[in-house]
Parts: sequence; C-alpha cells; structure tokens
Amino acid sequence: MKLQNGFILREYLRPQVLPTTWCPGCGLGIVMSSIVQAVHHRGLAKRDVAMVSGIGCTGRMSGYVDFNTLHTTHGRAPAFATGLKLARPDLNVLVVMGDGDSMSIGGNHLVHAMRRNIGLTAIVVNNAVYGLTGGQASPTTPVGGRTTTSRPGSFERPMNLEALARASGASFFARATVNHTAALVKLIERALAVPGFSMVEIVSNCHVLYGRMNDLGDAAQMMQGMEPTTRRVNPVLLRRASMPQRLGAPEAPVDTSDTPFIDDPRIQRGVIFERAPRDDYAQRYHAMVAEHTALP
Amino acid sequence: MTVVERGIYRIELTRSMCKACGLCVAWCPQQVLAADEQAYPVVVRAEACVNCKACERHCPDLAIEVFAPEG
Repeated sequence: MKLQNGFILREYLRPQVLPTTWCPGCGLGIVMSSIVQAVHHRGLAKRDVAMVSGIGCTGRMSGYVDFNTLHTTHGRAPAFATGLKLARPDLNVLVVMGDGDSMSIGGNHLVHAMRRNIGLTAIVVNNAVYGLTGGQASPTTPVGGRTTTSRPGSFERPMNLEALARASGASFFARATVNHTAALVKLIERALAVPGFSMVEIVSNCHVLYGRMNDLGDAAQMMQGMEPTTRRVNPVLLRRASMPQRLGAPEAPVDTSDTPFIDDPRIQRGVIFERAPRDDYAQRYHAMVAEHTALP
Repeated sequence: MTVVERGIYRIELTRSMCKACGLCVAWCPQQVLAADEQAYPVVVRAEACVNCKACERHCPDLAIEVFAPEG
C-alpha cells in the first residue's frame, strides 16, 4: 500500500530543509520516498535506521531524511558505514551512493565492504553521469553516451556493477528503475531484510545533463524510455528458455540457465542474485574480540 | 458487475513543494491533471480520477496526494 505523500513528509523527512535542491523531475526524489516507504513497511523505528551518504546529488539525501544520518567524504560512505555497523550492529545501515561516488572514487571501499559481506544495504543510484559537478562521464556512461567530457561519445566500456557484486561476494543484488516505483519499494524492502551485504542498483534519470546531451527528452520521456530498455527477470520465462523441447522447438536445447538471454540488450530488473545467508560479520567480529580479550 | 463510482477522489497539490517538472501530468492515465501557463499541474477532470496513484508514486517532491473517501 502506498503511503500518503503528506505522511512521508511529516513523519520521515525534515521539513525545514525541503523542498530538495534536486532538479525538477529528478528521480532521486522517487528513490528517497521509496526508501522511506520500504523502511515503514519493514516496521523499523527511525532511531533504528542509519543513512550514510557520500558526495554528489545522491549524497544530499541524508540531509533530507529524518533517520540517524551521516554525510561523509566522497566515495567513503561504505567505509564509514562499516565502522558504524561494527560499533552498533543493531542499526539498519543504509548506504546511499551515486554511480560515480560508489564505482569511481569509492570503488575500493565498495569492493571491500562486499568482500566482508557486512550487513549494509547499499543503494546505488545510477544515472550514468556525474550530476553535481556538471555532467562529466562516469564509470557507467554507456559507449557512445555524450557528456561534457566525452563530446563525441564515450569510448570506454561501462562498468558492470552486477558482475562486480557477484565476484566480490555480496549477498543480494537487485536492480530497479525509478519508473517502476512499486517494484523499487519491494526490492528495497527485501534488501533491508538480508543479513549480509545487499545492494539495489537503481537506474535513474539525469535529463538535465545526460538527457539533454543525448536527445533523450525531458524527465517524463526519459522515465518512459526505461520501459522498453529494461525487462523484468522472470523465473517462468527462464525455465521455459532452458527447456525449449517441451514447447515443440527443434532438438539440441541450449542451456541458458547460466547466462540467460545474453543476446537480449535490455537491462534486467528484479532480484538478480541472492546467496544463502552466511555468518554476520559484526557478530563474528565481536565474538572474536570477546574471546581474545577475556581475562583468564 | 461492479459499478465504479467516479469523482469521489480528492487530489491535493502542494504548490510550495512543487517544482513543475510535469511528471504527474505525463503519468496520469485519465488526463485528470493539466499544466497551467507556468507549467504547474492543475486538476481539470477530477471526476475522471480512478485513484491509481501514478502521480503520487512518480512525484519526486511529494507535492501531490490522492485521498480516497473514508470507509
């Protein structure tokens, strides 16, 4: 059930700093209200939630929400959050980052937070551009994407956050867009319930800097463009694709369970992977400390 | 067959929060909202609202609310 916007404003945001400084139509506002709704649906009290953010448009979010908040240095939000989680394992720590913040300057911290599998919930808002500093190319700018630092079109291969999370050892990875808001709330809700490191990548729009340079239209057109360029991960379709002989297809079925629809250029959204829960990092750490500092 | 009673939903716009981005106007499937000369949304066909909350969900500034009647 969708919460009333006025209720979100009164209960979960800081009205004295609103309206936000984000551009009109920016998807970050949708991300913020979705996070608040997910926290509400999980039944978490405001004092039990901490939001850590870095620098960038996304980093401003920690100023608007009325949780325990920490606005940290550029890219170091996962490092601060690791310390916070170790000191207070009872807190639900949300780390909110943009694509440049998390993958470029903070790539090392993100990788090691995922390697430790510490119980953070990382929200990576991916708009393929550095928004706050004037639209420079970011690690996720697609090949051919025109930005202020790649006028003829970016020629670098974009980073694959999904593969990075899988290889680094994260527990949960999901992808959503700001267009599909109901799924976005549900996915953040699921990520909050994961005991280990969980990550939700949110495809957002920067129509002011990226959309204008690439003729993608205004905010509404960019969001509606997310419908044909993404597709939902559908377990039934995946099963059907791995058993084509049962649908009367010719012989020699192709095993697509590992790399489903590799020729499909559309971005998958939904839960991409989820690992079985492992021991909590903070708990193991405190047990180790207690064991080694106990007096004989 | 269920008879859907129209025109029972109340739409509230908070002008002080609104940035006139036009998302609610673009997303309304029933053309309830329209942009005025300053591009701010106004309710023009309140009776057509079906309470889908597409405008509420897509408002980045939490400036629009749809209320269903009590009970």
